This record gives sequence, structure tokens and C-alpha cells, in this order.
Amino acid sequence: MGLPMDPVAANVDAVEPWAGEAEPAQKPEEPSLSARQWVRQNLFSTPFNSVLTVVFGLFSLLVARGLLNFTFSEEREWDAVRTNLRLLFTHAYPEEQYIRIWVCVGTIVVLAGLSVGLLAGRGRGVSMKKLSLNLIGVGSAVALGVVLREPSVLKDADGEVLRDDDGVLRESFAAAMADRWAWWLAAAVLVGAGAALWHLLGDERRRKTFVPSVEMFVALVGLLVASAWVYPWGHYAFADGEFIAEPGRTVAMTTKLPWTVMWVLLIAAIATGRQLRRAGAGGGVRVALNLAWLLSPFVLYWVVLRDPALDWGRVATVDIPLAVLFAVGGAAVLWLLTDPRIGELGRIIATGLVGVAAFNWVAAFFGWYSMLQKVRLSFLLLALAALLAHNFAGERAQRLRLLGGWAAVTAVFHYMATIMNTPSTVETPTEALIGGFAVTVIVAVFTLLFSFPLGVLLALARTSKLPIFRVLATSFIEVIRGVPLITILIFCAVILKLFLPDGMSISLIAAATLGYTFFSAAYLAENVRGGLQSIRRGQFEASDAVGLTGVQRTVFIVLPQALRVSIPPLVGQMIATFKETSLLAIIGIFDLLRMANSVIPAQTQFLGVKREGLLFVCLVYWIFAYSMSKHSQRLEKKLGVGER
Amino acid sequence: MTHNKRLLWRALAVLFAVTLIAASCGDDGDDVDSTAAPAETAEPAADDADEPDAPATTAADVIEDTQDGDLLDTIISRGRLNCGVSGAAVAFSETQPDGSQTGFDADYCRAVAAAILGDADAVEFTPLTAAERFTAVQTGAVDVLMRNTTWTQGRDTEVGMDFGPTTYYDGQQLMARAGDGFSGSSQVSDIGGAVVCTNAGTTTEQNIADAAAAAGVDITLNTFEDFDIVTTNFIQGACDIVTTDGSALVGRKANQQPDGEEWVIFPPTPISKEPLGPTYGQNESRFADVVNWTVYATILADEKGITSANVDDMAANPPDAEAGRLLGGEGELQSAMGLAPDAFWQVIRQVGNYDEIYSRHLNKVGLTREGSANAGWLDGGLIYAPPAR
Repeated sequence: MGLPMDPVAANVDAVEPWAGEAEPAQKPEEPSLSARQWVRQNLFSTPFNSVLTVVFGLFSLLVARGLLNFTFSEEREWDAVRTNLRLLFTHAYPEEQYIRIWVCVGTIVVLAGLSVGLLAGRGRGVSMKKLSLNLIGVGSAVALGVVLREPSVLKDADGEVLRDDDGVLRESFAAAMADRWAWWLAAAVLVGAGAALWHLLGDERRRKTFVPSVEMFVALVGLLVASAWVYPWGHYAFADGEFIAEPGRTVAMTTKLPWTVMWVLLIAAIATGRQLRRAGAGGGVRVALNLAWLLSPFVLYWVVLRDPALDWGRVATVDIPLAVLFAVGGAAVLWLLTDPRIGELGRIIATGLVGVAAFNWVAAFFGWYSMLQKVRLSFLLLALAALLAHNFAGERAQRLRLLGGWAAVTAVFHYMATIMNTPSTVETPTEALIGGFAVTVIVAVFTLLFSFPLGVLLALARTSKLPIFRVLATSFIEVIRGVPLITILIFCAVILKLFLPDGMSISLIAAATLGYTFFSAAYLAENVRGGLQSIRRGQFEASDAVGLTGVQRTVFIVLPQALRVSIPPLVGQMIATFKETSLLAIIGIFDLLRMANSVIPAQTQFLGVKREGLLFVCLVYWIFAYSMSKHSQRLEKKLGVGER
Repeated sequence: MTHNKRLLWRALAVLFAVTLIAASCGDDGDDVDSTAAPAETAEPAADDADEPDAPATTAADVIEDTQDGDLLDTIISRGRLNCGVSGAAVAFSETQPDGSQTGFDADYCRAVAAAILGDADAVEFTPLTAAERFTAVQTGAVDVLMRNTTWTQGRDTEVGMDFGPTTYYDGQQLMARAGDGFSGSSQVSDIGGAVVCTNAGTTTEQNIADAAAAAGVDITLNTFEDFDIVTTNFIQGACDIVTTDGSALVGRKANQQPDGEEWVIFPPTPISKEPLGPTYGQNESRFADVVNWTVYATILADEKGITSANVDDMAANPPDAEAGRLLGGEGELQSAMGLAPDAFWQVIRQVGNYDEIYSRHLNKVGLTREGSANAGWLDGGLIYAPPAR
């Protein structure tokens, strides 16, 4: 999935999203130990350590046994999860419109593939030695799991459980081992493959042959996709109060083709990315890719998932002329303001523009003259650009770059404003367009997108020399940080509506996103402030000495260094925000957790079946949070955080 | 200096032009934007500079919709009924794996849609939590609530809701193991010393405490987050008795009673009254009439033996004049309400009569009409409709 830090990662040269085991080349080689030597040195080096090893080994075996027994117990109704996979991921998104969801997934797959192909260096990947050891290890773990689980309960021919004379269930270890033949087979295949790899290659080749991580990941995904053609994962057919697992209606059967397409897209995108890199694609391609990542959430949500019903007459007569007018008129204003001869006059004009932009809102509030909200927002944007214009004053090329940027911003803004204001053509049976895991992802992505710039601005304001900014930012941060997140969410969900003017309403998901954004931004701001404070005075003085303006100093000298230092806490905050989206269930949004916790246990067929769903929810959250965390570790390594 | 002055004039001229043209473009006003925006689009928009204002760009006018005109006309012009349901209530409104809603409450939503729009599928279901259900009606997000809502004095007056005819008479009961010496005729006075469990934050907690005090017995009351956890504790033996609405207890017994154990539900007369029915906003009398008479039509059809299977025959040869009027033979009664003359014929044909709706969803969880308050008035129950004339 498009994890939100991808745009950040993409700024860095040669990130390896999946190239885990690449180690610095100059690291001295570890002495090779035999298995016995390793065990003695690491597990049983002293009598005390031996005791610790045995005690905690037994403890972890017990925990593993409990978990396995829970998961594979015959009482578990995993059908509740299998059958409700669609509900868990998208709630009531109409089936005939599912192609839109696939378009979203496909877009993210292509962007991720391009990023990997374009940016990932061909690391050494995983050595054959490590690969074969891992295969043997996983295989042994499977075998251990098969033995650890409790023995099966014996049943007679009618499926009734057998009990002995005292009423105790009759269990058989031997029968259990025989019942689990498929698991034995899997364990044997894994161990066999590992052993074969180990023995086929000599010691030298084992250590010197590497499997590239990207290829290995693609192959693994390929195996998963191929399994959908063979095994019917999950089923959801529902008719006359019965669930029917007809072969053509299982989840795997209906999604195998889309997933295969996704897999092919992934391969094609990686190959294209690599081709571009080999052809020496410059910064332009990377900037375009970053922009695509940044814009994709907006486009995918409003354009693909909602499919706005545009009124083309109005678009042609109002929306496009307005956008052109602002692009051209704003460009003219900015051209004048960047004239190096304009001097103090520029600031006066820019301040005047801010006044005009602010007055429009006051006028709208009192109803003195009517003006589209889009126009008022455009004036605000123009005022902001005008305030920043003097940083671009000077050469013709630099001024033209500002104008180009302004035109692009105007185009994107007007496009998005029009799209957002147009009703959806996708009709869903619920008020919320989408639910389940999709709403988790949407809220998390938009929260990160909005809270990152807000957090950086708050951090800058808090360290600003202007008391008004400092006081405002400090009070915002301290108020938000002093209140529990769930309180903020309930406040946004329940009370925010009462503050809105008449006739204006805000959807629950939007209100929740706003709450998350405020909360996350306050914490991000403190993380960034930590980074800001680590910048030495010399950096400020040097940038003053070469005559940079305040904005230039902040953007080009201070922030890049500050953000680099704050990567670990920033990613920690992002992961926390992602996990905190599970609080949506409390304010009544039908997210992943609520599906598993309330909706599925209320189906007559699965009345009270809750544990399976909750375990599944844990697994989904863990997979995503763990990938984000791994990704950030690599990012840190690449940027050398913590090394100097 | 003169150069600066010229620059100033040029800048002012450009600014003036931009303002003038932009303002004239905007003269169709804000409401053009806001009428175009549906409720769910209000994701925080645009850039961080205008974060708090962003939802304004996508403001919806659902509230105006419901305040400007008559709700019934609004629904007809919209072509769709917005119905608030629970989405997580066994047999009343369940969300199926494909996202559709089924159940007793969901079918009454369909019945109202069939009456108003002639199409039982013209319903948009909004799953609501107990906390947000009344706000959803007040803001106009839903037209009617079919969300097992108990009709109480406070909700009818203070909260500002209006209630339609009761479709299901529920009441709080207790459930215990027969092995512990309880039977279907046990009373609250028999439960002295027992550990009674229920879910927190509902009136059930208060009701059982009051009932125990009135019967003069001491009980240990344990509350849990939701009734799934309560049931798990009951199965594991941490609770001797569980208590909640009778309809929920029957469902639990039907689905979760372990082999070799017998659960019993008592006392025969519930310890509280929980009349459940449609709920809508105040002062929408035309819409309220439609909802009420849709419910009455299903009850009358049940009384006269009109089912979805025989409704066409019954309409052709009505058994009596009232049935004829109901099925649209002389449809002026329905027309006077603002409905099509055959509105109730559509309801019976597409959704069914009261007994059909009840049996379809509630029989499978073990709830039957015989001998309960939900039997027809001719069978000694409380399900009764005024005459259609």
C-alpha cells in the first residue's frame, strides 16, 4: 500500500524499501561458527545463562502453544472472518463499482513499483547462506508448531465427540499427527528446500551468492497470487440466510484476476523504473514521482472512488475561466512583486493583498457581497504567494520559476476545489462512502498529509522571534497535548457541529480527520522543534553571512537538517497515528475494528463470534505498522542518522 | 521614485482587474457551491493554511433540505428514503457480508420506502450508534430511525423525537442455567445471592437493581463493556445470571447455548417495558402519518390474512371493504396522504405483512409471536391497528 512516508523516502537517493539485509561493505566478516559452537557460545555460556535459556525457552514454548491452540482450536469460527472479508476491508462499497478500488490499488502498486525501480540501488540482497538457514528455520518452526498443539479430540463416524466412562474427552496424539499431514508436508518442503540449497552450494558460494531482495519480494507476492488460483481463500456468497461457498463466488475466485493484474503491474512498474534509472533519468522524473505520490490520495479519493458528477456547462463558464484568471492575474502580480527594483513597495502591496483576502472572509460572514468560497481561498493563496515573492526576486529565470509554480498550484487547487464540491456518482447504501480497513487507510493518509506541514509550521512558529506566533503555537501545542486523543475525537465528532454556522455541516469522517490532524500536528511539532534546536548557531550565522533571506535560510539550511535528525520520532508518530485510527470505532465510524467488534458478532450466523475477528484485526495492523517501522529503519541507515 | 510609482499603479491595476472579475464570477453566491456538495465530501480540504475553514468549501445543506419543505415531498423528489438502523443488532438489522442490511428493522425501512416511492429498494441505510441516532434525525442525515429505540417520555418530549406505532414489544428479562435450579417461571425474588451480569451504560443496569431492591433480594451486579463479553462470562461460569432485553436473550440462547446445558429465560412478565418502533423528528406530521400507516397497513394485512403471496388476488376480490380500501381499490385515503393509491399494496407485495416480516427474521433466533405481547390483538397480544376508513 502507499505508505505515506514514501514521498519522504523518495527524496533520498537509493533507498531500498525491501532490501533488508544489505550491510555496510567495510564491516569485518564475522567468524563462521559451527552450530554446536554457536549454541554453546550464545545459549549455554555460563550455568546461570543456561538456566535463563531453559526457563525462558520453556516460557516461550508455552506461550506459543497457547496461541496455536487458540488459533487452530475447533471452536474457532474462522468462517466469520473469511466470509466477511469484503465487509472488513470496504464495508458496503457497491460491488459493481469495485473496479474503482482496483484502480486505486493499481495506482499505488504502480507508484510503489516505479519508486522501487527508480530509487532502489541493487543491493547485495540476501545471501544464499542466510536464505537456506531461514528456510530451515521456518520449516522447523512449523514442525515444532504441529507437535506443540494439543492432541485432537476423537470423534465417531457421526462426528460426535467420544468420551470415556468418566466423561473425559478422548484425545489422541497419534491421530493429531496424522491429521496434520498438510502441515508436516509444508515443514518438510521448507526444510528440504533449505537443506538442498545449503548442500548444493559450497561454503564459498553460499556466502558470496546473493538473491536480490526486490526479486525475492516479487516472487513471494507471485506465489501468493498464484495460490488464489488454486485455493478458495474466503467466501461470501449469501442467499436465503445461508452462506454458500460456491466455487465461482469465493473471495479468491473473484479477486484472483485483479490480483494477477496487480502483480503484472508491479513487475512492469519496477522494470520501467529501472529502465528510467539506467537511462539516467534526472531530477525531473523524481520530482514528478514525488508529486504523483503527494497528489494521489486526493485524486484517488475524490476522482476515482467518488467519481464526481461534474456539470460541464458550469465548469466551462465558471470554473475554468476562474482558474485561468487567477493563474494569469496572479502571475502578473507576482511578476511585478519580484521586480528587483520594487523595494519596500512590494511588501506594501503584499500586505494589502493579505488585507483584501482577509476582508473577503469578513464580508462573506456578514453577507456584504457574495463571492465563491473558492475565490476567497484563491485570494488567500495569492496573498501567501505575494508575501513569499521577495525571496524569488532577482534573475529572470528565478522569477519565471515562481510564476510556473504559481500556475501549477492554482491549477491543482482549482481542480481539487471543483472536484470536492461536486456530488459523488457512486451511490453507497450507507452515509459513509467506504468503511472497514479502507476508512482506516484514508483517515491515516489524510491525517499524515495535513499534519506534517501543520506540524512543521507550528514548530517554526514556536521557535519564531515574533511573540504572537510563539504564544499562539505554544498554546495550541500545549492545549492539544494536554488533552487525551479520544477526548479530542469525541469533541470533534459531537461538539464541532455546534460551532459551525447554520447550513454548514461536516461529515463524521472529516471531523475525525480534523481531530487526528490537530493531535498529530502538535506532537510532530514538538519532534521537529527538537530537530530545530539541534542546529548549531553557526549554520544560522553562515546563512545570514551569504545574504539568504529568513525564508531561504529556513527552507534550504535549517529544515533539511532538522527534519533529518527528527526522522525516528517522526516515523514513530506516524505509526502511532496509524494505529490510533482504531479509535474511530468509538465515535461510531464503521472502521476495521468496529466491523470485527460489533458488526460481525451481530450476524445471526456468527452471533458473538468476536475473537477471530479481533485477532485478524491485530494481524492487519501489525503487518502495516511493522512494514512502516522497517522502512524507517532503512531510511535512517541511508541518511546516516545517529552516526554523526 | 517615478519608477516605483509606475510599478505601484501597474500592480494596483492588475489587482483591481483580478478582484473585479473574480467578484463578478462569484455573484451566484455561496449556496451554489454548498448545494452541490454532499455530506460525505467534507474531508479537510486544500492546504494547511485554511485547515479549520476547509470543510466550509464542501458544506452540505442537508439541514436546509429538511427545513425548507415538507419532508415527504423532499423524499419523493430525492427518490430515496434515508433510514437510520443499528447495523449491528441480531435479527433486527444485521450487516451482511456483502454490505446489505437485513432484519426486522431493515424490512420496515423497506416498507416505508415501498409506500412512499413504490420501490422497497429505494432505501439508503445509515448504520448509527446509540449515541448518535437522535442527532442524525435532528440534522436531517436520516429521515426515520428504525433502530430498536425504546419509546420513553423523555425521548418523546425533552429529546424532541416523535414515535410511531410500536412494532415490537420488548422487555428486560433474565437468563440462567436450568442446572442451577431456575425455570421459565422463576421470579426476581428467586435470584438472591446470584452474580448478575449485564452491559454497562444502559438502563438494564438500573432496571435490574430496582427490581432486585423491590423484591428484597441481594445480588452482585457485574457490568461489562458489551453483551458479547457478558455472554462469554456467562458461558465460562463467571456469571450466574445475565440480563438484557428478552429479544437479545432468546437470540443468545438459540445460538450460543453449549451442548449439555439448558438455559432458561424468566420471569414470564418482563421487568421493564421496552416498546420499540419507528422514530422521527417532531413536526413532520405528513411524513409521520405515512410511517404510522405503513406500519398499520402491515398489521391490518396480517389481521385479514393478506400476504405477499396472495395480495394480487386479495386486491382483485377484497374480502371486505376495509381490505379493498387498504389495497387501493378506492385509493382516496392514500391519495389524501400524498401517496399513490396502491401504496400499501406495494408494501405488502414487496415486503409482506407484519407476520411475514416477523417470522422471516425473528423466528430463526427463537422468537415466536404466540403467547407474547407481539401476538395480534385477536390472539391476546398487543399488536393492534386502527381501522382503515
